[in-house]
Amino acid sequence: MIEFRGVNKWFGALHVLKDITLSVEPREVVVVCGPSGSGKSTLIRCINGLETIKDGDLVVDGQRLGDRATNMTELRTEIGFVFQAFNLYPHKTALENVTLAPIHVRKIARAEAEASGREMLAKVGLADKFNAYPSELSGGQQQRVAIARCLCMRPKIMLFDEPTSALDPEMISEVLDVMVGVAEERMTMMVVTHEMGFARKVAQRVVFMDAGAVVETGTPEEFFSDPKTDRSRAFLSKILRH
Amino acid sequence: MLENFSFRTIVEYLPLFGQGFAATLWLSIVSFAGALAVGIILCAMNLQRSRLLQLPAKIYIDAIRATPLLAQLYFLYFGLPRLGVVLPELFVGILALALNSGAYIAEIIRAGILSISRGQVEAGIASGMTYSQRMRLVILPQAIRVTIPPLLGQAIVLVKDSALLSLISVAELTRAGQLLASDRFMPAEGFVTTAACYLVLYYGLKSLAAFSARWLGVRPIGSRT
Ligand SMILES: Nc1ncnc2c1ncn2[C@@H]1O[C@H](COP(=O)(O)OP(=O)(O)OP(=O)(O)O)[C@@H](O)[C@H]1O
Ligand SMILES: [Mg+2]
Repeated sequence: MIEFRGVNKWFGALHVLKDITLSVEPREVVVVCGPSGSGKSTLIRCINGLETIKDGDLVVDGQRLGDRATNMTELRTEIGFVFQAFNLYPHKTALENVTLAPIHVRKIARAEAEASGREMLAKVGLADKFNAYPSELSGGQQQRVAIARCLCMRPKIMLFDEPTSALDPEMISEVLDVMVGVAEERMTMMVVTHEMGFARKVAQRVVFMDAGAVVETGTPEEFFSDPKTDRSRAFLSKILRH
Repeated sequence: MLENFSFRTIVEYLPLFGQGFAATLWLSIVSFAGALAVGIILCAMNLQRSRLLQLPAKIYIDAIRATPLLAQLYFLYFGLPRLGVVLPELFVGILALALNSGAYIAEIIRAGILSISRGQVEAGIASGMTYSQRMRLVILPQAIRVTIPPLLGQAIVLVKDSALLSLISVAELTRAGQLLASDRFMPAEGFVTTAACYLVLYYGLKSLAAFSARWLGVRPIGSRT
């Protein structure tokens, strides 16, 4: 579903992605972790073209990014992206947030889009918030609207960039629960997170990045109980300490 | 001093001030509409990647902001006929105001658009919106909210600037004051009345600004994100 082959990327002189080779199978859930600045966000932002790659191949849903034949705008409708900062549209209600792209991009009839929007919001536990504006919602509620907004596009892939790291601790689990629900419906997911409980519960694989390179991959079981490299051991001891 | 102040003359001249008031009001409205059009075009050019579009807009905006409106007005008033373009004073005046205010409005709109966070743009991109869908559905509706108060501020400036049109003998408010001053040698009466009329226009626009702020405030806008 997603395949990186020898991908490199630079920000000026900074080599942010170093020869990344990695593939995500359909219906697989992959967790990406690693220290700050290791290139995790950059990695998943390349998948929907929020960043462009310098060399190597990146094939998403059978289409090679950067090819002339690849229509990026169309491909993006198949890829949901959940941001750390939610990025809900502040001038739109929760329901308008989740129906905007279905109506204008997918060209679904408004009534139909609203019906499935309500259904989706109810599913993420916000049945009483259809008409609330983002500023009237807590962080956890906003992030759940953001997830519903992606799901309403019926995507094939969902990408999450640290979806819970801007949240107060008591709101993290309500968002993770929704994400677990999405994973259980066999969505292809790539999730940048340090929530090890989530990784253990739903991920088939954990990818550990450091300094722009994939240093280690393994099942959550292997990775957490028996990390192979010094760098992953050092990283795990840091995040598991608290 | 006050016993010399002739309210009777003012009353006598009221119809003239009424005409001046109406003229200032409508020529300001027309100029502002023109300025909005100029501003939107300049801003659209300025936001393009292409240097070819960006550069002329930048140079124009700088040239307008760096030079006095009076110089611009005279440039058009005396310059255009030399190029063989003869236009009525009123038209030249409106043109000068629109071209001048347009440069400021372009910057106001640009600031409004740039104030929308990168995250909003990215949310639009990620959901598969095209550039124009993002502009129309995400960026502009938010930018307009932050843009309206400074736009009304610019409208107030434009109304006051329109006084300069009296210098090319357009019959507007300041001109009415000048006439009273010179016909009857009563500059105090003339210009106090003129000032009072501008005050009325000012409060009109100010309450419009307050009203629009309240109206825009109806929908709470992202305090968290
Ligand atoms: N637009 C940019 N321009 C220049 N450098 C950038 C840009 N975006 C990111 N970087 C740099 O690239 C490196 C990788 O950034 P990235 O955001 O991918 O890291 P990350 O692993 O997601 O970190 P974090 O855990 O802090 O989110 C960092 O050193 C960062 O400073
Ligand atoms: Mg990041």
